[in-house]
Amino acid sequence: MNEEERKILSIRFVVVSLIFLALAGIEGILMRFRIMNTLLEFFDEKHFYSMMTAHPFIGVYGWAYMTVMGAFYFLIPYILKKDIYSRKAAYLSFWLMLIGLIVVWGTTFLTHYAPLYTLYWPIPVAYEIIGWDPYSILSFGLGVVLILGGVLIFFGNMFATIFLPMRQMDGGTTSSWYVLKELLVTAFNLDKIRAKISNVPQYTSKAFNYPVFVVAVFRGCVDTTLNAFVIGGVGVLLVVFALGNLFPYLSIPYNVVDPLIYKNVFWWGLDLIADGNVLIFTAGTWYLLVPLILNRTLYGENIVRTVILADLVVSLFVWNHHMLADTPQPLFLQLQGQIFTWGELVTMGLTMFAVLATLWFARPVKYSMPLKFILTSIIGYAVGGLAGIIQANYASNRFFHNTQWVIGIHGHIQLLVGLSSTLFAAIYALFPLLTGKSLNERLGNIHLILWTVGGLVMGLSMGLAGTQGMLRRTLYPMGLGVFETYMTVAVLGALMMALAFTVFLINILRTVKLTDLLKIIF
Amino acid sequence: MAPQFFIEIVYFIIISIVIGFIIVFYILTQRRGRESSSLSSRESGEKRGMEKGEKRWLIFLFIIVIIGNILFLSPILPSAHYVFWLEEKPKITITIEVRNYEFVFPEKPLTIPAGVPVEFIVVSQDLVYGFGVFRKDGSMVFQMQVIPKPYVNRIVWIFDEPGYYDVRSTEYSGPRHPYLYFPDVIYVR
Repeated sequence: MNEEERKILSIRFVVVSLIFLALAGIEGILMRFRIMNTLLEFFDEKHFYSMMTAHPFIGVYGWAYMTVMGAFYFLIPYILKKDIYSRKAAYLSFWLMLIGLIVVWGTTFLTHYAPLYTLYWPIPVAYEIIGWDPYSILSFGLGVVLILGGVLIFFGNMFATIFLPMRQMDGGTTSSWYVLKELLVTAFNLDKIRAKISNVPQYTSKAFNYPVFVVAVFRGCVDTTLNAFVIGGVGVLLVVFALGNLFPYLSIPYNVVDPLIYKNVFWWGLDLIADGNVLIFTAGTWYLLVPLILNRTLYGENIVRTVILADLVVSLFVWNHHMLADTPQPLFLQLQGQIFTWGELVTMGLTMFAVLATLWFARPVKYSMPLKFILTSIIGYAVGGLAGIIQANYASNRFFHNTQWVIGIHGHIQLLVGLSSTLFAAIYALFPLLTGKSLNERLGNIHLILWTVGGLVMGLSMGLAGTQGMLRRTLYPMGLGVFETYMTVAVLGALMMALAFTVFLINILRTVKLTDLLKIIF
Repeated sequence: MAPQFFIEIVYFIIISIVIGFIIVFYILTQRRGRESSSLSSRESGEKRGMEKGEKRWLIFLFIIVIIGNILFLSPILPSAHYVFWLEEKPKITITIEVRNYEFVFPEKPLTIPAGVPVEFIVVSQDLVYGFGVFRKDGSMVFQMQVIPKPYVNRIVWIFDEPGYYDVRSTEYSGPRHPYLYFPDVIYVR
């Protein structure tokens, strides 16, 4: 695959991801109106919850993952000065993701299947009680398997690109076991540990052979790969149970799956996206863009690799902060989850410090759009992350769990102001490299301000409703009462973000013709 | 004041400081500053240790982590008090069964004396539900998840304020979930 082809592939990923962001945004706004008990003639509860099921899949896998994949398919070869390991796998990951997302979205849209992204057992397979159509479970499960299959192929391709010699060069080891060994040794600094045990003086770990960004990519990919096995595994489970309903001789009672153990495994896997992958990829993107734009070394560059490793280790042990309201869960596990979650304050705090210190020592800084978006991303992670740490304590979880605080101040501000701003920073930075043209800065500023203010207004007002007692995943058919004002403000915030996104699209289409973009995609 | 409102105030003070700091930082970094000599000739590799500023920041973060955990595990918040510090055994046990979107309460309203530890046991025969108790102004007193059988979900609480309380399922259990709302089902005397 030559550089031109990699550029086209990256643009494909990014364009499709923007379409998914638009879709997730439209769904979000429609749900906001439905929560306010409007649009009742269009939405019954099943329809609403099916949309709520599709929304995070489209937002996370469609928008965030596909942007990350597009960026990495271009950046990793660009930085390592080598080609992507497998061209076929690169295209396969694109199509699997796209088809999988369309299947998941289409299933929820057409059949109103609504287990939500949490998929708490046995809700996704409880046909008799909830009345799901078995074909919808089968289709949804297949969609999930396709998405996570695409994710696994992408990360396998990334690992091979980073750790293997070029295919054309004969003589090097090319087995997948070699890649796995190199990955584990380098990602977890096992070589350094071995050197310490063997008393090797002055040993520099293998991770130092790679730029910080690449270290963040492969360490983040460890989390994401484990996540893909778990969530993809849930997809397989749904397919098996759906087939059991369609063909009675394959039938399995759903109580063979223990709901608490399932929930532990599920959250362990799912949280690797939120607390591992998102934070590590974000850190990596900051570590790449800030020094590159400022043309100077990252502050504390010698330490940030260790911080990324700490982030990876912490991310493997934080899932219990989702289990704090589950009283059958052993108390020591819940306390372990609380304490490890506070560890994220340390790792993310050090990441922000490295970025801000780099900016500080580079004064006077001329803020380009990517740098501005990185600053707003830091605001998003600080505001959303702090809310997350507050709710992730055993004691406070008693009145924060499943409220709008969790999904508003923590979830949406972290994802929309934190993560999405980093993704926008990457798009603004990559745009000239991919297309040879720069986006208009004035429109960029409007996009930035509307997006950030809109995201904060929406998330904070949802959070305020949460402390008043408003639940997430709940409609209030008897009236919103005291929550109504907060929800009205949240709608305004959401509309500001929609306007910001429209300005961003106008900016893209002013710079690159729509016909040219369509040619690239198809 | 319910504890979540106090936490909310502290949180908003902190994030106002953070956002204000970033805005000031944005303005200041556009001005010319002194070149840091420590950054001009940087050694690569892991031979160099942490920068002094980084060390101080790391220590600060660790102090915050320790203080935060001590505060949240201390008896300041009632939920931590009842789990970690309360020696008194529950005086009353109330068992609630949930089945096919029905919450079966032993009596309506459940009459509970104020200031006495009460144990709620909630058992689901089929799906995942939630059990949340709310004040009449809508704010949450406490909640727990209801994991289906074979698990038994228990929580101990002491009600300080007399009056009526609502119960609502706090976890999604299918599209009928919003209707799992039971006003005035608890009466504290």
